[in-house]
Amino acid sequence: MAAMTKASHWLRPFYVPVLLVLAWDVLSRVNDSFRYAFVPVREISTGLQEILISGQLFENLLASLQTTCVGLAIGTVLGLLVGSIMGVSRIADDIISPLFNAWRPVPTLGFVPLIALWFGSGDLSKLVIVVLAAFEPVVLNTYEGLRASDDKYREVGDVFRLNRRQLFFSVQLPSAVPMIVTGVLHALGFAWIATIGCELLFTVGPGLGGLMEHAQMAGRMDIIILCVVSIGLAGLAMNTAVEWLARRLLRWRHA
Amino acid sequence: MSSIARYVRSHLQLISPLAFVGLWAAVAAAQIFPSQVFVPPSDVLSALREVHDSGELRLHLASSAQHLVTGFASGAALGLAFGVLLAVIPALRSYLWPMFNAVRQVPSIAFIPILILLIGINDLLKIIVVGKATFFPVALATFDAVKGIPRGYLEVARIYQLPPATVLTRIMVPATIPPVMTGLRLGLGKAWGVLVAAELFASEAGLGQMMESGRQLFRIDVVMVGVILIGLIGFTLDRGFSTLQRRFVRWQ
Repeated sequence: MAAMTKASHWLRPFYVPVLLVLAWDVLSRVNDSFRYAFVPVREISTGLQEILISGQLFENLLASLQTTCVGLAIGTVLGLLVGSIMGVSRIADDIISPLFNAWRPVPTLGFVPLIALWFGSGDLSKLVIVVLAAFEPVVLNTYEGLRASDDKYREVGDVFRLNRRQLFFSVQLPSAVPMIVTGVLHALGFAWIATIGCELLFTVGPGLGGLMEHAQMAGRMDIIILCVVSIGLAGLAMNTAVEWLARRLLRWRHA
Repeated sequence: MSSIARYVRSHLQLISPLAFVGLWAAVAAAQIFPSQVFVPPSDVLSALREVHDSGELRLHLASSAQHLVTGFASGAALGLAFGVLLAVIPALRSYLWPMFNAVRQVPSIAFIPILILLIGINDLLKIIVVGKATFFPVALATFDAVKGIPRGYLEVARIYQLPPATVLTRIMVPATIPPVMTGLRLGLGKAWGVLVAAELFASEAGLGQMMESGRQLFRIDVVMVGVILIGLIGFTLDRGFSTLQRRFVRWQ
């Protein structure tokens, strides 16, 4: 009896998804136009086989991951640079802050039409948008991290007679690392959303967003659903990987 | 330090944006880039006047505002209800939480192609996407807020045998308002971002659509008017909400 209760406990998360799939399947049987929108579950698995065997899923997934990772890397480096300059120099802070704060409330994908006109609707434009998406949280967290560390540790640096460079690299920056890591985690999420968004809007070149957009135009609901699932899983996997990496990198703090 | 240098130093935050616009105008005037691609600030201003005078801007603004308000309000209401229910009924949590987290992983814009096939390109599409973007942060914040009500508060209420209505209005609501407001603010920001994206992608009206048609007509000045306006609106929404938030917290 106890084992049975335990088993039913374990099954609970699956009830709602299974019910939804069943409802979906019932709707797919109503008539032909329903069948078009609510593709039968069987067809989704055929669609999966199709894009797995043709390599489409893998190829487009890889392209999306690549755009995200390259954009994240560039955005992080630029964000660290700008955030550090703002965090260390009050003059630079006063110059950059008003411009940064004017740019920040613009939704990232809102830059797509402008960037498309300036850089064309190709891979370069996608990368620019993803870099912009990743840049913002890194700047913000680097800046805040450095500013928060200022007073407490600066005095220690003074005691050891560190010069400005030593103070920055051996005192201020390390104390800001946890905040920066949080910023990079946010940046990863934004970069992934921006990647999918750009691919949907540009549709040229490989990428899960593009695959999805083509499937929508061809009325292939099965492929769209597989793309959505892949986007969710890939986002989750990247987030888990970066979190794991961050924990490893930050281990010294607890030692 | 000379007095001019001191004046510049103390007004940098004002001088910097002005210098930026000046530099922009100077580079445009120097014709380094074709003037159609690198439009001067004056062109952006006249494009703003153009879309305003033709009445086009008002239509787009009204469309965006309508979808934002409807989507945000429904998403927030559902998010509040879902968050409270899940926090209050633990059994429900084990059924719905994993599903909730799984759907949360998928960016709101990724649902647009599914919705287009299911319901077509219409107002409802935008309302659902905006609602989805609002629902998740609000539900999450509400859940955490209700779970986070200090046990002591409720125990005190039990000792004094306060009626449930009083417990709700005097303890539950005040204790949860600050975190729920934060969730609503986050949701509003996401809602605005995803609405602009949805309008760029598939829409007959709205600021995003204005920018998209500006792109197709190669009207960079109109596109830039759009960028500036969506930024201003995003700023105003966030600032307005944080003012509201401060009010509530102070009252507390």
